[in-house]
Amino acid sequence: MRRTLARLGGLAVASSLILGACGGAATPTPASSTAPGASAPAPSAAATEPVTLSFWYWAESDAPGADKWMAETVAEYKKVQPNVTVEVVSQPTDTLMSAFQTAAASKSGPDIASQWATGPVLSFVWSDSVAPISDLVSTDEMKHWLNTNENVYAGKTWAMPMYLLGIGLAYNTELFAKAGVTPPAGDRWTYDEFLAASAKLKAAGITPFVGGDKNGYLGAWWFANIGGQQLDSVQELAKAVVGEVPFTDPKYTGWYSILDDYVKAGYVNDDVMSLDLDQGVRLFQQGKGAMALTTDGMLATAINDLGGDKVGVMRPPKWGTGTLADAGNATQSISHFVTSWSAHPQEAAAFLQFMHTPDRLTAWYKATGVIPADDRFDASLVTVPQLQAMSKFETTGPQVWLENWIPPQIDGEADIPAGQMIFSGSGTPADAADLWERVAGTWRSAHPDELANWQKLAQ
Amino acid sequence: MSAMTSALRRRRHFDVTPYLLVAPAVALILLIYVYPIVRVVIDSFLSPTAERGTTVGLANYTFVLNDPVFWKSAQNNAFLLIGVPIMTILALVIAVILFDQIRGWRIYRTLVFTPYILAVPVIGVTFVYLYSYNGIVNEMLRAVGAGGLAKDWLGNPTLVMPSILSVIVYRELGFGVMLFLARMASIREELYEAAMIDGAGWWARLRYITVPQLRTVITFFVVIELITMLSWVFAYVYSMTGGGPAFASSVLELYIWKYAFAYRAIGIASAVAVLLLVATSVFIVVQLLVRGDESDTGEE
Repeated sequence: MRRTLARLGGLAVASSLILGACGGAATPTPASSTAPGASAPAPSAAATEPVTLSFWYWAESDAPGADKWMAETVAEYKKVQPNVTVEVVSQPTDTLMSAFQTAAASKSGPDIASQWATGPVLSFVWSDSVAPISDLVSTDEMKHWLNTNENVYAGKTWAMPMYLLGIGLAYNTELFAKAGVTPPAGDRWTYDEFLAASAKLKAAGITPFVGGDKNGYLGAWWFANIGGQQLDSVQELAKAVVGEVPFTDPKYTGWYSILDDYVKAGYVNDDVMSLDLDQGVRLFQQGKGAMALTTDGMLATAINDLGGDKVGVMRPPKWGTGTLADAGNATQSISHFVTSWSAHPQEAAAFLQFMHTPDRLTAWYKATGVIPADDRFDASLVTVPQLQAMSKFETTGPQVWLENWIPPQIDGEADIPAGQMIFSGSGTPADAADLWERVAGTWRSAHPDELANWQKLAQ
Repeated sequence: MSAMTSALRRRRHFDVTPYLLVAPAVALILLIYVYPIVRVVIDSFLSPTAERGTTVGLANYTFVLNDPVFWKSAQNNAFLLIGVPIMTILALVIAVILFDQIRGWRIYRTLVFTPYILAVPVIGVTFVYLYSYNGIVNEMLRAVGAGGLAKDWLGNPTLVMPSILSVIVYRELGFGVMLFLARMASIREELYEAAMIDGAGWWARLRYITVPQLRTVITFFVVIELITMLSWVFAYVYSMTGGGPAFASSVLELYIWKYAFAYRAIGIASAVAVLLLVATSVFIVVQLLVRGDESDTGEE
């Protein structure tokens, strides 16, 4: 009898463990989700039940000071919505996409996430991981946001911009004077003028251009600022993405020749392949190079470090003859969105809107020196002349950041390594062009699902 | 009692309790070890974006085998295998020297083993600064007038893999040294005494006593490090170069990671994972065969 009871007890324990393991392995179902395109419930008043929102946040690399601003914003929001707790998880650049890929695959993770605009955001839209922000936020609010066109698809806006980031060509006025280089009278040089200035600087023993391409982003910035200047529209770029025209067409990749010539002429710092993008800009901020491509935030740091009288800024040089050669390059860079699996989409959207209140916009600018993507921002706060110039570049005329308009795989497997080929001298411009064409082809065969969506973008 | 009666009695007395008690552990092992492998194999035959149920046959394998980046990655992993004999010989020499208990041997032993207990990303980031074009290594070379030898160790496509290999050897060496020292501590002193009486010198004792006695451990270390070079170098590459410049330091694990997590092509990543599993399995089988032979012959 006792032996029988022991066996039954063992059987019960074993069975419960097995059943518990099986139950635990089941895929959890989100409590609620807002399917893309579905109309959202009306915005609620102050949340009465405790709500915790998880926010995967990235901005610090673009705008130093952003993390601190976000911490203050969360604290301020707690005063407005005591029942809502926002847990911010800062994301590293290198895993920004891959970490969210995992979340998207499992449809679990943060309530609010961050991705680079257009290509990366839309790739997650197409995998049903994003709730359209236009379903959660009123039109009256959204009309104040700038550059929302970067995340529009199928008639909806999918993500919120926070700031406008443009890339300027910062220069050291002291080193310019030493080499006898005169800054442009207008807002930019021609490419020939840029070359001539670089030659003078090198002759004076000054490194003309400093940067870092170890992580590949300097090459990507050259693509975004110089590479697209033979194109007339982003749709033209999308045509190459979907295979209607080859990337080997000089219109798309011919610019690698001028970059190759520039590097071979010795106009770039020797350790460009040892440094990441930020580290390369740091050389400029330390006065070790005459020119660098910089964001607003990086420019602000340079002004702080070198002194306002030693730093100037112009638009990147004009090389191409396409319509995009005259376009600005401002982008919202990072976009914030509510995830499709969030159990609290309205609360999440409410927090995003709070980030755009005038007080928060002012605090953002004071913390980072980067222009908020909102027309309610008090532009009179921009008092530094160089940053006023950047602000003008970023808000005048059409703005296109070309890197946004290619799929992440083409960006990672072609754009970035092609630039590395040129900066490291391990490949020729023809190799770079072939790489783009090959990778675009492999992307098309690996992602037939996304190809159809990009074909719509190309129209 | 007839044989049939005995068999029937054995059936009536068959006790399932032990099997039920180990069932949860077995289930856990199957879930953790077997299921992922089965899942990866299945996914390798599905659509690249892993839409369940969309079978594409060998298309993912065809894609991978036609991708120059895959072959470059495999080539880099094959290059890293060179580090195994280097590490083995170095570890053996260091272990023998330490075993002779030279002055300060405990300090040297600690110095040799410390890198092995540090996290790989820590070592990777440290060496990024050391190997930077204006890093400490090059600054020292320039300081002693050897500036011509100062290279961009991680930014030069030709030098990046040897540089990464040097870091791997630096870290993994300590494991081999400790393994060999532990085994050497159990070698019978009489063997060495007898050899010395017969006039054997240091080299002869090393060649005819120490190395044969270490054979099993050496084999184990070699196989482990072969497997490491094929499938455990992701952290080194990711923290030091990210696979650049321009795929020059890409390895198979990085390739898998990119396609799985950055490009959302699980099917392609799974195909590469299966190929890598087959490759590493070869070394595992070799080790099992060697260990089997040694136990058959009575060797330790």
